[in-house]
Amino acid sequence: MARLTKLLVANRGEIALRIIRSARLFGLKTVAIYSAADANSAHVGAADEAIAIGPAEAAKSYLDIAAIIAAAKQSGADAIHPGYGFLSERSEFAQAAADARIVFVGPRPDVMAALGDKVAARRIAVAANVPVVPGIETAEIVAAREFAAQVEYPILIKAAAGGGGRGMRVVAEASQLESALEAAAREAAAAFGDGRIFIEKYLAHPRHIEIQILGDDHGGVVALGERDCSIQRRHQKVIEESPAPGLSNAMRAKMIDAALKLARAAHYTNAGTAEFLVEGDNFYFLEVNARLQVEHPVTEMRFGCDLVFEQLRIASGGAVPEPAAPRGVAIECRINAEDPEHDFRPATGTVLHLNIPGGPGVRFDSHLARGIEVTPWYDGLLGKLICYGANREEARGRLVNALGEFSLLGVTNNAAYLRDIIASEQFRDAKLSTRFIDEFFADWKIGFAEIDAAIVAAVIAAGDAHAEADAPKPNTERRSPWDGLNNFELWRSRR
Amino acid sequence: MKLTRTGDSHEYDAEVISRDGNTIRVRIGDREIAATFTPNADGGGILSMDGRRYPIFVARRKDAIFVCVGPASFEFKPAETAARRRARGLAAAEITAPMPGKVLKVLVRDGDLVEAGQPLIVLEAMKMETTLAAESAALVKHVRVEEGQTVDHGAVLLELSPPPASSGRESGPRAE
Repeated sequence: MARLTKLLVANRGEIALRIIRSARLFGLKTVAIYSAADANSAHVGAADEAIAIGPAEAAKSYLDIAAIIAAAKQSGADAIHPGYGFLSERSEFAQAAADARIVFVGPRPDVMAALGDKVAARRIAVAANVPVVPGIETAEIVAAREFAAQVEYPILIKAAAGGGGRGMRVVAEASQLESALEAAAREAAAAFGDGRIFIEKYLAHPRHIEIQILGDDHGGVVALGERDCSIQRRHQKVIEESPAPGLSNAMRAKMIDAALKLARAAHYTNAGTAEFLVEGDNFYFLEVNARLQVEHPVTEMRFGCDLVFEQLRIASGGAVPEPAAPRGVAIECRINAEDPEHDFRPATGTVLHLNIPGGPGVRFDSHLARGIEVTPWYDGLLGKLICYGANREEARGRLVNALGEFSLLGVTNNAAYLRDIIASEQFRDAKLSTRFIDEFFADWKIGFAEIDAAIVAAVIAAGDAHAEADAPKPNTERRSPWDGLNNFELWRSRR
Repeated sequence: MKLTRTGDSHEYDAEVISRDGNTIRVRIGDREIAATFTPNADGGGILSMDGRRYPIFVARRKDAIFVCVGPASFEFKPAETAARRRARGLAAAEITAPMPGKVLKVLVRDGDLVEAGQPLIVLEAMKMETTLAAESAALVKHVRVEEGQTVDHGAVLLELSPPPASSGRESGPRAE
């Protein structure tokens, strides 16, 4: 049994901060790593020590295995937590940690290699009698065409090594296949350092439901219920909840049984998630995410547990806990730096003001703070707002209220969009499928009343600047209408 | 004054008509709106209009005004640029980077004639690919970037000029 003393967190943003919190509770010293773009980031300040790992570009910092292992050795860390994304599902990373005699908080490298690879994972699923969606691994246009003709369009193209929806593309017809294959391979290579491609039949109206599992080194495996993550944009989850509304106890039991069979067949250890697509009374194994999920807080709130703490206990040789009976309902939404009125275009900027909601059953996991710069280098997750309630309506009401309290100035984000979705009758009635956003919220616009309020605020704030710009002035150089003013002034200082 | 909302083609013509203490009258287009504003200790305030109360935060940075109306975030810019663009008969005389990122593909060359909607450049930012397309028919005057190059927000990627036979026909810009 390894007694851990110091944990290096090989990640950034909200998840690095969240892991540091549990590691401290577990009694560990913590080491943050950071790229040049994150020197002032919250996780750097939260850890006991912090090590600069490289330039902003992820490939040379958060994806640089050698640099991270070196940082772990330098700091004397005896464990590494990979978080999600970045290197979290790269078996080479887990192997490199093992080679350096550092405990990797996650599954063993061979298990990761088998499960992290979609093709090998499917093989395990088929062998364990778990149903799968028809699919093949290929980036070859000829083989792709053949497969598509067999199962009929639309088909889904995705990174074999990936997760989190990156590099995923739906191809509706044969003419789009070649360019989609190319782009998916490029994105897969950029995001995961692995350009292999997996193609599968695209289900028209599935729900995405996943089972949280925990396994230990002694053969113990438990499931902690399900999460419904059907509401997605660009194949990335934005709203997740547990339990899955309307899921029958019989279906839930079958899916949990399938997830446990998979975990046992793969000799799975630590935290993982078995993802399924559900259509009608059928469910299909999608993949195992061999890591902590972004949306793990909804499970924590229902089961009253701390999954990162459990991960650390398992990594120290401890046994999986007997899960408590789940209670109530938890719903999470992801606040992203993006413009939901324009195809979710990524946004950047500096946080000029932040209002964080509170109250009973409200949890906000975020690294945001006033002055933090949101850069284009990493994904745009700004924070996760999670609400718990005795029932779904209570959780939903709290989340609507909490989003109403939320305010983030300086970085375009989707908070108002999320509020409108969660307040909608479609969400209230749980008309959930992965097509939810396409069907109900693709053309969403902010309400006219809120635009009016924003314009009123803007013209008042700009009032003096406007007068100045209209006045005749010496024709020296290009001037913007706001020239002559400080770069940054809050409203109040203008009064 | 004329404001454009970032990412929006719409131009808002608005001005303060009068201001007396906390009471403000503002014209937006041909509508008049009466509002009151009560500052809070945190630098923001409550804007009351049409019987509703909105928590507001405002900040000005360089050529932009940022506004939050509760969870809804807005960025406004003066509309002069858009007006100048239209005077040239193009939806946009330049294709600029909507965000910092890396140029993945340049799909056109100097001298190419492009149609509205034709993809020009593929940009990668935040691990996602964004294709920038022509907003109107145009002649590619000058490609200013190469594939693989990293660009800042607002960097000029391409210069466009009106197509030889059809200048001045397109309506306003669809998006920035």
